[in-house]
Amino acid sequence: MKRSILIVVFAASSFFSCKKIVTLKLNNVPAAIVIQGEITDAPGPYTVTINQPVDFYASNTFPPISGAAVTISDNLGFTESLIELSPGVYITSLLQGVPGTTYSLSVTAQNVNYTAVSTMPMPVALDSISFQSNSGFGQTQITAIANFQDPAGIKNYYQFVEYLGGVQLTKDLFVFDDRLSDGRYINYTLFNDSSYLQYGDKLRVDMYCIDSSVYNYFFQLAQSSGAGAFNTTASPANPTSNISNGAYGYFSAHTISSQTELVP
Amino acid sequence: MLTTRAKRLRRSSFSLSFLLFPFLLSAQVRHTVSGTVRHTVSGTVRDQATGETLIGASVIFLGHSHAAGLSNAYGFYSINAVVGQYEMVVSFTGYRNDTIGVNLGRDTVIPVNLAPGSPQLQEVVVTANRNTNNVSRPLMGVQKLSISEIKDVPVLFGEKDILKTIQLLPGVQSGGDGSSGFYVRGGSIDQNLILLDEATVYNPSHLLGFFSTFNSDAIKDVTLYKGAIPAEFGGRLASVLDVRMNDGNIKDYVVSGGLGLISSRLNIEGPIEKDDGSFIVSARRTYADLFLKLSRDTNTNRSSLYFYDINAKANYKLGDKDHIFLSGYFGKDELGLGNTFGLDYGNSTATFRWNHILNSRLFSNTSLIYSKYNYDVTINSGKNDIGITSFIKDYHFKEDMEYYANASNKLDFGIDVIHHTTSPGVITASETSSFNPVSLQNKYSLESAAYISHDLSLSDKINVNYGLRANLFTVLGPGNFYTYDSSGNTIDTATYSSGQVVKNYFNLEPRFSMSIKVAATSSIKLAYTRTTQNLHLLSNSTSANPTDVWIPSSNNVKPEIADQVSVGYFRNFKDNQYEFSTEVYYRDMQNQIDYKNGAQLIANENVESELIFGKGRSYGVEVFAKKKVGRLTGWVSYTLSRTERQFNGVNSDNWYPANQDRTHNLSVVGIYKLNKKWTLSGDFVYYTGNAVTWPSGKYEVNGQIAFLYTQRNGSRMPPYNRLDVGATLQGKKTKKFDSNWNFSVYNLYGRENPYSISFQQDPGDPTKTQAVQYALFRWVPSVTYNFKF
Repeated sequence: MKRSILIVVFAASSFFSCKKIVTLKLNNVPAAIVIQGEITDAPGPYTVTINQPVDFYASNTFPPISGAAVTISDNLGFTESLIELSPGVYITSLLQGVPGTTYSLSVTAQNVNYTAVSTMPMPVALDSISFQSNSGFGQTQITAIANFQDPAGIKNYYQFVEYLGGVQLTKDLFVFDDRLSDGRYINYTLFNDSSYLQYGDKLRVDMYCIDSSVYNYFFQLAQSSGAGAFNTTASPANPTSNISNGAYGYFSAHTISSQTELVP
Repeated sequence: MLTTRAKRLRRSSFSLSFLLFPFLLSAQVRHTVSGTVRHTVSGTVRDQATGETLIGASVIFLGHSHAAGLSNAYGFYSINAVVGQYEMVVSFTGYRNDTIGVNLGRDTVIPVNLAPGSPQLQEVVVTANRNTNNVSRPLMGVQKLSISEIKDVPVLFGEKDILKTIQLLPGVQSGGDGSSGFYVRGGSIDQNLILLDEATVYNPSHLLGFFSTFNSDAIKDVTLYKGAIPAEFGGRLASVLDVRMNDGNIKDYVVSGGLGLISSRLNIEGPIEKDDGSFIVSARRTYADLFLKLSRDTNTNRSSLYFYDINAKANYKLGDKDHIFLSGYFGKDELGLGNTFGLDYGNSTATFRWNHILNSRLFSNTSLIYSKYNYDVTINSGKNDIGITSFIKDYHFKEDMEYYANASNKLDFGIDVIHHTTSPGVITASETSSFNPVSLQNKYSLESAAYISHDLSLSDKINVNYGLRANLFTVLGPGNFYTYDSSGNTIDTATYSSGQVVKNYFNLEPRFSMSIKVAATSSIKLAYTRTTQNLHLLSNSTSANPTDVWIPSSNNVKPEIADQVSVGYFRNFKDNQYEFSTEVYYRDMQNQIDYKNGAQLIANENVESELIFGKGRSYGVEVFAKKKVGRLTGWVSYTLSRTERQFNGVNSDNWYPANQDRTHNLSVVGIYKLNKKWTLSGDFVYYTGNAVTWPSGKYEVNGQIAFLYTQRNGSRMPPYNRLDVGATLQGKKTKKFDSNWNFSVYNLYGRENPYSISFQQDPGDPTKTQAVQYALFRWVPSVTYNFKF
């Protein structure tokens, strides 16, 4: 064994992540129907939209399906036929959503009948919105936190929708369940993948209490739509819809609790 | 003469085998009725300079092709022949041959010491040695790499790496840029049994895959079994990667190491007692995160991203017949983001081994093995303080016997018992946290196996290896075991107490391989292998994550079973300077595991209700050509293959390509010794892109764009290709000091190989959607300084 020696290290490396927009050859979309219906505990009218999917590289305008027969009924014997307000958009005129009630949707379009059932959970109040600022790697990011008490002993499913200056933020999807949080006071962080909140912005957060099938739908949708380099699941798939007969979309009876706050 | 004890041992082990396996009889009869007096030469093959034992060295009696063998995992060889005068030739890649005169009049012990030699020297030395083991031995689908072959192949960050290098071999597919994960003949990442000194390594990667857990300074030998898997091994479907650690220099104290941009290594080894015992300690640490410390931003300079690992081993000879070894590995990765997020994970293993030579023809090894993998996640966000931990832990007993009956018969038999404990998840949460503390019940199981395999030389031309592995997997209490209906609801809960048997799975795994020499240096080989697997990795991403959880077979999860048949043609050219082989394989897989759409894999007591079970198949043809000696060495490897899965409820119940299905897979590796100072190297890789699921269309829900999928894995990532080059500059070599500089460039022509492609709404034009491609590495140069004194 010999005496130790001094060692000089020279090293250089440059590796970086490169991101670019690519144009891919994708399959064409098959003929299909997309149904989206919501009933809330806020005053109506409530809307059911029916349209068709389009190819990936088409613009985001979805051909409406007109002339469908749409009815909503509840488990107390009330039934209402919806009227078509504009092509593909059907609205209620009498219905008022009540927590604890089970609603059934029936759509007959192009001679096919689609049905769905959703039960409006009991409401949970959104107490407040707070903000948290994280800095790191040369950036400061403000994220909103929804604060509320989860009721103990029952399964709860939540969905959050953000509005900035009255405009819905559509990039991220937030659903949360109390599987690991039953009965806790929840501080749910609405993580966004970009720093979009600025000082002085007016943020509104709507918290929905949704039923388990709607939660599963959005949870699966969130898993399959992750953007970013490391955010992709091995095998994205269409979320399991609560609507029958292969329709895409969902039918949700949910409560709404809102809070609006200025970003401090 | 044998001692009485050894005699008794020998008799009892024989009577057991005798009852179970009548073929042993034929081996014995052949030996005793031959009527000629036979004796045995045995010993250990070692490196002359360091005393390291050499695994798989070829030992033959010149002119007696029957009298031939290989040194075993501890360097032990045993050759049996009739009384006479022989010339025994011992050879091993990277070493000069040794020829020893043997006057065989009684059982003789001959230790063999080979001198390391460069290929050019060897070229001269190679004379009468017909080193055709690769052709004549029945095992197929076996790849062996020595560290000397790995060291010149350029790799990412200049850190020589066995897992990256085996990805350049036929039938082995890379998990992607900077991934230690690999796929063998259509198997999944978790279907490879990765062993370090016989201990299972559950997560073979550091830094999310950019480095492997194997520090090549500490590694002696790497063997990958992907076709005919010897009966000694079991527990995984697709392959066995058997990694053996160095024993440590038994002659002299040596310090060696390397300094690189990203990591440094230090290795110390030497005799405990000259020629009787030695030790080795090898350690590594990455320090890329030290640059983060320079940041003035508190969140950044408190972030961490590093790993370290330590390999240590000691061995000691207790007389001529006994040798004990103690080896261990400990590795840890630390990833942290300020004070808000932390993830650390690592493997630890320990192996105690006792080699005992019962007699010159019967070798025994007893191993006691411990292995553990765990991870620890901490999240501190606002009032949320959460910790998540999980582990898998094994206690393992293994007894292996090798009986060198005679030149035509060798028997391997033994038993193997592993006790597994898995802790799928424990969540701790602070008082103010949004989460409840949860502790999922530990799962216990016992994996017991007995095996026997027989190497039989039927004639000069036909060699056969056949064997059987009997495997019993026992699911043990305590715990609640659930039964689910088809939609995943719990319909029954059975409670078992500690040690109570919940379920037994018994599987017989026949193994068979055969070689038929069709000419002096060419052969045709056939093999059939059945393998089973009782530990399954649940992962919901394309590459393995440190937080993926292993689950044992249970009342709901059945053992995975694979059957593989393969046929090959092997030929050596030009005095065995060139090796050529081609193999065709078909593998059928049962009880494959996937999970339901939207499965909750984290901290879910009912995770088994989220699983679905299906089938797999893969087939392909592999071509491999290797030049072993000369100034230019290297290989070309090409695989044409198909890998498919079928699950009811997925892809309209139709077969679909697995993610890792890659039609073409080509690797070219070349190492050129320019002169005494410079060695140049390069490797080129091309493969078909992974099978992926891309959207066919889109629709709108809740104001957001959702994508519509029509076919599982119906699309293809763009093809992958890359060229790496490297150069090694050998410094002045003295008796006392040796050093070299290693330069390399990964991805020389800077191709942006897509790491992933994701789909999103166009940020500039919300009426459109776009596909975004991410690539990781372009031109990664690196410099490493290696030294030894």
